[in-house]
Amino acid sequence: MDEGDIIEGCLRGSLVCQKAMVEAYGTLVLSVALNVLANRQDAEDVSQETFLQAFRHLDRYDPGRSFKTWLLTIAYRRSLDMLRKRRRFTQFTARARYETPVAVERPDPVTADAAPLPSRLLEVLSPRERTALCLWANDGYAAKDISAVLGCSASTARVYLFNARRKIKALLENDHEILQHG
Amino acid sequence: MRSCSTVDVLYAVIPLRRFRDWLIRAHMERCPRCQARLLSRDEAQSLLVGPDRVGGVEDLWRRISGAMEPAAPVRGRTAEARSGWWRWAAVPAMAAAVTLGGFWLLRNVEKPRFEAVAVASAERFELDYVKVAGAPAQTFVYQPQGTDAVFVWVSKTP
Repeated sequence: MDEGDIIEGCLRGSLVCQKAMVEAYGTLVLSVALNVLANRQDAEDVSQETFLQAFRHLDRYDPGRSFKTWLLTIAYRRSLDMLRKRRRFTQFTARARYETPVAVERPDPVTADAAPLPSRLLEVLSPRERTALCLWANDGYAAKDISAVLGCSASTARVYLFNARRKIKALLENDHEILQHG
Repeated sequence: MRSCSTVDVLYAVIPLRRFRDWLIRAHMERCPRCQARLLSRDEAQSLLVGPDRVGGVEDLWRRISGAMEPAAPVRGRTAEARSGWWRWAAVPAMAAAVTLGGFWLLRNVEKPRFEAVAVASAERFELDYVKVAGAPAQTFVYQPQGTDAVFVWVSKTP
């Protein structure tokens, strides 16, 4: 089943085609969300919302454009929503920071570290820079395609990507120097 | 080498994205020294989680299918949405009606609703006598110039 058949089937509400779409693009959407959010649970939630939104609004997809880019645009926007939600939650819980915890939170031995997470070095990047880097490195996207996902001009996307590459390289070199010279 | 430093300074000092983009395209993408200071694709891939490392999507599909409403063809809904275009048209129509109604009200409220009936001017004002507390009072009658108003001032006789 090719991409056109899958989209056509999803428009008819076919469950088989919807499953095929998740199988075809699920890992891609999940990896983008995971690289932006750096949290497996949140990334799965975002991926689920992305596909649900895509199925609901598939009639708005312009066949003249890349379907992958359209889907990744939804995933990126849902990831930003998740980051905002997380920020609001952090602000809310910050008040309770100094209270003594009732029970020590232990990581779940089954799920902890079961799935890979992006390097903590990427935390220095903004969500836009992280998305630009992820699309460039994992999907081979150029500035123009990245701009379609981020909803900005190609110039801006190029600057995001450049900044991301330069910042991380500087951090890597810094780490290397620290390891070399103690 | 010298131009790289100049470009770096310009890039840092001028925060205009278009200008920075021009610097990237004109120099940094072509200069081997500048390229060496950028993360390569392989290095980036080693730091990121690629689609091949996220695992299967069976669990994701289970979650999606569980959260999905009973499948309704999107095309059918589109036709239904198109037939309901009047709902969207009703909003500006209602806004226009409210605006016009508002103007009409404003114009009518500003106008004096009841025209004051011009009272025929009295040709003569007569006052036989005025008593205050059973005794005849001093009476003064004023008529401002150019008006039909008449003021009568009465005070107790000292």
